Amino acid sequence: MNSAHPQLNPVPSGSGIERDFQKAILRLVKGGPERQAIEAGQIDAIVDPASGNSILLPEAQRALIERKVGFRSLIGLAFDWYWEQDACYRFVSHRGATDDADGMAEEGIIGKALWDLSIDNMSEVDWRTHRQQLEWRVIFRDLEIRRVDRAGKTRYLSISGEPIFDDRNHFKGYRGITRDITERKQAEALVQQPHRFDRAVIDALGASIVVLDHAGFVLSVNQAWRDFATNHAGVGTCVAVGANYLGACDAACGTEQVDGMAIAAGIRQVIGGERALFRYDYACDSPTGRTWWALSVSRMVENGNASAAVFCEDITERKRAELLLRLEFAVARCLADAATTASALQSVIRVICETQGWDCGRYFSLDRSAGVLRFDGSWGVPAAVVEEFLEKSRGMVFRPGAGLAGRVCESGQPLWIVDGTRGAAVSQMALAPETGEHGACVFPVTADEKVIGVLAFSAGHVAEPDDRMLQAVRSIGSQLGGFLLRQRSVEALQRSEMRFRTLNDLTSDWYWEQDSNFRFTQVVGCSAFGTAAILGKTHWELPNVIVTDEGWAEHKAQLAARWSFCDFEFAIADSDGKHAYYSVCGEPVYDDADTFTGYCGTGVDITKRKRAEIALRESEARLRAPAAPSTGRSIRW
Amino acid sequence: MVRKRKRGGESDAVTATVVVMALYITDSGPNSVRAVANLEAICQQHLKGNYRLEIIDVLQYPLRALAAGIVVTPSLAKLSPLPIATVVGNLSDKSGVLRALGIVDSAT
Repeated sequence: MNSAHPQLNPVPSGSGIERDFQKAILRLVKGGPERQAIEAGQIDAIVDPASGNSILLPEAQRALIERKVGFRSLIGLAFDWYWEQDACYRFVSHRGATDDADGMAEEGIIGKALWDLSIDNMSEVDWRTHRQQLEWRVIFRDLEIRRVDRAGKTRYLSISGEPIFDDRNHFKGYRGITRDITERKQAEALVQQPHRFDRAVIDALGASIVVLDHAGFVLSVNQAWRDFATNHAGVGTCVAVGANYLGACDAACGTEQVDGMAIAAGIRQVIGGERALFRYDYACDSPTGRTWWALSVSRMVENGNASAAVFCEDITERKRAELLLRLEFAVARCLADAATTASALQSVIRVICETQGWDCGRYFSLDRSAGVLRFDGSWGVPAAVVEEFLEKSRGMVFRPGAGLAGRVCESGQPLWIVDGTRGAAVSQMALAPETGEHGACVFPVTADEKVIGVLAFSAGHVAEPDDRMLQAVRSIGSQLGGFLLRQRSVEALQRSEMRFRTLNDLTSDWYWEQDSNFRFTQVVGCSAFGTAAILGKTHWELPNVIVTDEGWAEHKAQLAARWSFCDFEFAIADSDGKHAYYSVCGEPVYDDADTFTGYCGTGVDITKRKRAEIALRESEARLRAPAAPSTGRSIRW
Repeated sequence: MVRKRKRGGESDAVTATVVVMALYITDSGPNSVRAVANLEAICQQHLKGNYRLEIIDVLQYPLRALAAGIVVTPSLAKLSPLPIATVVGNLSDKSGVLRALGIVDSAT
């Protein structure tokens, strides 16, 4: 028998055996006080002077047995199984405090480590953490594991353990207890089921939601709010549960101050019951660029306490689309108002830069004959660096495929450099002299689906384009291209008209127009008649016009037949009786509906030629018939 | 089970005599439990913290009992100040205990 343990030999109380035992005990004790104490029933045990073992007296023995039973009973209330592991964490003992079926023993637990058992809720990381605890010889409490028993039921077990050391303080293993917490976990799951469902629904919402108490402290947020707070800067985005949202709005400064004040005031009004709903749109800056949010605040009342639910919805896409639509309208207005190509280019580049927050833009026109892109116009913010950059760009020429502009010209596709300091698409060395900035947006200007030029914008930061932005640049490129093409045609026409006028001025003396009744409606440059004398009259109504009757008949027949006529010659007798000679050409004019509207034509003073001809004819006549007397001048028209 | 108890501040120890005692018991035997309770009451009432008490379970430390010549439990040994004295039993005889500890009971 171990000396540290008492001799537990229960003796029936009050029996003869007990009395005999007491007499035997008394014989062992020599001292008077000890004997008296034994007889008075005040002694629990006698120490054997030879071995040191304690001999329990019956009453003490019964008390110890009762205590042990009671302790075991209490232990049974505290846990379901007691176990021990060796130094390799293998189970060497596993005993149940009750007779209930074991959650693990049925699997044959002895000789196995905990992680060898079929446990389905522990990940590799969880096991690594647990094993680390064991290696550190720490006490672990309430390790909750889940497994499916042989009956197919899910059981939850809670395991606690402490390390065991021998007398030399060498680690021997672990011992501990296991409790079946299946019922508790199932009850918890039942309680949390509706809550979890509600929570899952709220977390699944795309809108960011934060619930505030009456003082503005954050009571709860959903997953979208957490993501929003993580990825964005702006009013109240860094506010977590327990922090004061109103305080964060009040503390907003810089560009966010106005938004912060407005939002805080709106929330206070809603909580105070002054309004049922508050709506506010505002912008936030994020690593991916500027985003827009529609904030709405609703009043909540629970147990008489007012609070507020704040919803933030991402309206960036809608807002960007609005801005781009506005940009397209602005570009169209610029083109409509522009008097010249140069002013159109400048105003379009400016409106794009101002809308997008870019620093400058340049237009390179494609010179098809030379096969190069030439600098053709620019606009930039009033900054020395930008002006210097634009100045350097003047005279810049790109061949298709060379440089950003050349690449865009060749591919016909827009090119975005979000951050020229990184990325392999464009080297910093190549980008810097070309754009002057880290970001660039270069897109083609097209007409009839052909690239006629390239617009290149530069900025410190250019956001990644979305589909709507790409659509907008295509639209703007096409609008501008169409305008430039039309403008080119108009200018060509103007040049052509100018040339024509010049030639006309050289070949004719005046220009005239008639209405459908052959009355003059316009005469330019005619010195033969005064304008007032001509307008509203037909040719044959003009005074002093000398044409033979056959001539008029022939001319009127031509006009009635809407024929073109050429070199219709007539004479006008002045007050001195001298004749001046003229020749006119004309052609019918039709409107868009192909209705005859009159004639237009030119006239030439042929007096010199005609007089020379007359003189020549007269000279010839004199030579042929010198004796024949002259009968006077006659002219046939 | 060995329980050492030291009562009283150091400043009190300068002026008052500290009584050093050892109580030998048997686990949670009825008389042992009673002896601990009786001795605690006496110490609180009469020694005012000027004592050091060590409670030794002879089932765990039998050699301590042999070394001290303890024959039965519970037994109280007064070790200091001299003379050494021993009281056996559950210490329900308060006057006997006080006598053994050298304390004059003002009530008697």
